[in-house]
Formats: sequence, C-alpha cells, structure tokens
Amino acid sequence: MTDTTSRPITLELIDVTVHFGGLLALNEVSFRVYENEIVGLIGPNGAGKTTAFNVACGFQKPTSGSVHFPASGHGALRPSQLAKAGVARTLQGVGLFPQLSVLENVMAGAQSRFGDGLLTSFLGLPNGLRTEKALRQEALGGLERLGVAKFAAAMPGGIPYGIAKKVSLARALMAHPTLLMLDEPASGLDENELEEFAHLITELRASMSVLLVEHNMDFVMPLVHQLIVLNFGQVIATGAPADISNDPDVLAAYLGVEE
Amino acid sequence: MDWIRSLRSQDTTHSRFLVVLSLTILVLLITVFLPPVADSQLAEGAAIAIVILGLSWLIGWSGQISLGNSGFMAVGAYSASIWAQHHATTPLVLTFFLAIVMGGLSGLIIAVPSTRLRGPYLAGMTLAFSAAISPIAQNFTSVTGGENGQFLNELTTPKWFLHLFSGQNAAINANAQWSCDIAIVVAGVAFFFMANLFHSRTGRAMRLIRDNDVAAELVGINLTLTRSSAFMISAGFAGLGGALYTILNATVNPSTFPLTLSITLLTLMVLGGIGTLSGAVIGGIIYSFSANLVDHINALTGVNPASNLGANMQGIIFGVLLILTMLFAPRGIAGLWGPLRRLTKSRRRLVTHQNVQ
Repeated sequence: MTDTTSRPITLELIDVTVHFGGLLALNEVSFRVYENEIVGLIGPNGAGKTTAFNVACGFQKPTSGSVHFPASGHGALRPSQLAKAGVARTLQGVGLFPQLSVLENVMAGAQSRFGDGLLTSFLGLPNGLRTEKALRQEALGGLERLGVAKFAAAMPGGIPYGIAKKVSLARALMAHPTLLMLDEPASGLDENELEEFAHLITELRASMSVLLVEHNMDFVMPLVHQLIVLNFGQVIATGAPADISNDPDVLAAYLGVEE
Repeated sequence: MDWIRSLRSQDTTHSRFLVVLSLTILVLLITVFLPPVADSQLAEGAAIAIVILGLSWLIGWSGQISLGNSGFMAVGAYSASIWAQHHATTPLVLTFFLAIVMGGLSGLIIAVPSTRLRGPYLAGMTLAFSAAISPIAQNFTSVTGGENGQFLNELTTPKWFLHLFSGQNAAINANAQWSCDIAIVVAGVAFFFMANLFHSRTGRAMRLIRDNDVAAELVGINLTLTRSSAFMISAGFAGLGGALYTILNATVNPSTFPLTLSITLLTLMVLGGIGTLSGAVIGGIIYSFSANLVDHINALTGVNPASNLGANMQGIIFGVLLILTMLFAPRGIAGLWGPLRRLTKSRRRLVTHQNVQ
C-alpha cells in the first residue's frame, strides 16, 4: 500500500480512526498525497470520504492516528491555520459568502496571506490600502483566468451554479496553496463545465497537489494519478485508476455484489 | 448626499478624512445657529451616536448581538470619572483614551468566554453583564461614590471662545456651544476611524465570519480572535461614548446607564440603519430630539405628560417606529435613500419612455 517513491509528501494520514459514538466512521485509514499529484478519494455514500477530508482539515479530531503535512513541515492543523500552511479547501456545494460581491469573495481567499493588521485597518495606513489594491487586481486576474471576470460585481446569489463553483475555486487559489482539496467539484455541473473543470485541475497540477472527493467516475478516472477507495470507513484499494477499475473488492463495493 | 456615498465607495484614507472633516465642520457651523438647549441635546446625541456606531459594527458587521453596550458605556464613564477625582487636570484626550482602553478591556473580558455563544445565548450573556454593572457601581462605594455617584468639573470653555459671545447669558451660551463642539469633534474622529475599519481587511474579516464561519476559517480566519476583537472595538466605542456623555453632564451615578439604555441603543441602531455610518448619525439625532418629539406628541394628543401614558410616551413612539421600520424599511432610515432614488429614477425612465411613444 505504501509508495516507495522519494517525492515529497504533501499530505499524509496515518492510521486515522474516527468514532462517532458507536459508529466507526474511519478505521485505521492511511494514505499519502505526493507533490504535484492529483488524488481522488472515492467510495459509496457513507464510506467516510468527507470524514477523512474533515480530519485532514482539522474540523474533525481523530479518535486515534495522526495527520501530517510533511512537505511544509506541519503536523495536524486547525482549520484557520490551513490557508497559511498552503492548504486550500472548497466546500461541498458552493460555500461562498452571500453578502459579499464575487470579487470580494475571491479577495477573501487571500485573507491569510497578510497579518491581522488591526491597527493598520483602524488608522487606514497606506500599506493596508496598497495590499487591498493589489489583492483586487489579483482577484480580478484569477476570475479572468477562469473566464468569469464579468461576474466580478455580481452577488453570489445571482449567478449560475457552475459560475459559482468557479468563483469558489478562484477563492481557494488566492491562498497560493500547495495542496488544493476539492469537495465534490463536479456535482451539479453539466458536460461542458465538467470538461472545463477537468482541464483546469490538470493545469493546476503544475504548481500544487490536488485531493478531491468525487462521485462522478467519468470525471475522476481520466483525471487522477492515484485513487483511494473507501468503503465502510476502510481503505479497500489504492493505486492507479486503471488497476483500481478491475479490483474485485472495488467492484463489489460499487456494484453491491454479494460475497 | 454624494459626499456620504463617496464614504462608502472604494476610496483612500485621506479622501475619507476630508469627507468626515467637511461634515464635522458643517455640523459645527449648524450648532452656531442652534439655541443652547438644542446644543446640549445634540452633544448627548453625538455621544450616543458613537455608541450606536460601535454596536452597529458588532451586529451589522461581525454578526454578534450585544445587550451589554450600556454596561461598556458605564465602564468608560466610571473610568473617566474615577480618574478625574484624582487627576482633575488631565487633558481631555488622555481621559478619552483611558475610557476607550478600559471599555475595550471590559469588552475583551466579556468576549473571550462568549465567543462560543451565538444568538440569544450571547444576548443573554451580555445582558447579564449590563445588569451587573449598576449594582457593582452602587456597592463599590469607596471607588464609585455609591448611590450618589460622582461629580466632575464642568468642561472649561477657553477665554478666546468666551470672547466670541456677547449679550445676555453670553457665558451660558458659550459653555453650551463649546461642550457641543467638543462632542461633535470627538464623534467626528470616532466616525473617521470606523470608516477606515469598514473599508479594511479587518472589516472584511468581520463580514466573512458573519456570513459563513466555516468558509471563513478555511480562508485563514481565527474565529475566536476575530469575534473577540469585534467585541473589543465595539466596547471601546461604547467606553468613549459613555465617557463623553459623563463629561458633558459632569456627573455619573449607578442609574445613568440603565439596562434599558442597551435596548434603546439597539432600537436607535435599527431605526437609523444597521451597519452604516449614516445610520448611527441618524440614531444619534433621533436620541437628541426624542424628548422634543415626545413633548410635541403629548401636546398634540392632549396627554398629560405626568400621567402614566405620558411618562411612557417615548417607549410607545420608539416601539411604533421600530415596527414601522422593520416592516417598511428593514435597512433603516439610512437605507431608504437607495430605494427612494431608484423610485424617482424609474419614474423618470417611465416618463421618457412614454414621451418616446
């Protein structure tokens, strides 16, 4: 199961177990995400994919086991420390800030790249204004890159779902992440948008690792380098998509074959 | 109104400074033409406007509710007053600074445990604080003067200012005018700094935790720290307002900042418009002249001001206004400007459309 390549490891979960009362959500789950690698976390409903995500992000404390970010030298992080450590995550659905314009939503993604600066804000010092200006430019550039710059002034409630997903991706990229965690990026997108998204993620790989939770197999299979299959809280298979698609355990889990 | 609008757009600190400065000077000029009684009322309104602004920041921007701001006012007021008992010659600026720091500290002390609470539970916690302040002031007699409270020296009007006035009651007029001008300048400074906060990264952090706290954490915002700093700033503004209020009246006692004042502040904030500078100004103006309004309505309706009904007229008026605002102008009086302008605009468009046909 363990890969012996010498490439730096961006994210590593070691023997993570999570109990919710009597329910065993994750059972000694271990996996690694290497630098500049696209990894898909798949499995049937209730397999523990989102729980694994939440453990990696510090939203869920594991009952036992540990989380590391070896490439950046961090151990387990609290959610508010992720962005600074180079980890950006999108939320299931859209997760935008409803009362901020699209542009401000994207600018918010870089909130962690600067100190708190309460005094700077209060006194309206020039350095604060300069960073705001630079942020606005960068956010506009990010929106442009994803082809949604014309929605910059719109409110999140008034834009189509596919656009909103791109906006939340643009926001995540503002943190300059080295690990991008995408929670169901394909849900609710049409054929064209799926293709665009797959293309985007492939491009991003040049500068970061991507870990994604996804149901849509047609989307995941051609995209990822490594698949991690979860079922009933356990890793039942890890490997390249081509190998996984013939694995009997995986087929059983997905097709519900009786043992 | 373009001036006020430019306050809201993406502008620079010095343009904000110029706008606030111009508006402050404008109000100072207006006070010259007001009778001394109105000056005094306006001065108190300025103090209250500062507190409303702090509350507006807390509720409108960070999304946390507080019924404790009258308590923070009391902290600022007593800090200024107790200090003045021993160091009567301290410059006003330092006294205000002390009140801000003490108010802010008390806010921080309340905030740290209460950042885990949301909505009604947070309201309850802050309510308990403002309920506790008055008994503390009553029983800590050696420090606070107990039931009778404390007295401060009246603000001294400088000689050059006195010379500007002549005729009967020159001194009284000059004093009222001077106090009012001090209050307005202090409010101007407070509004300038809040305008900076509104347009800063800190201001945006507040809106992030208000709108979606999970997403806010993921962009790197520490919820506890941000919520606490929102509370601290709000309480600092309340402390400043409370100290100003007390210095204007030259006295403070346990009933100066009752629990009901917190409710009044909340009402005024909603009436004016939550989360806006102009809303806080409007709230302060309503506070200033609500007594006149009450007298007027009592006279109109023939209600005896000494009667039970007359004595509660202010509460009734505020209540009715509050209901009307919630129904027809949820963004408060300050928020009426946009829809009004759209209304006139669309009507104009309608007219031109008909002309074309």
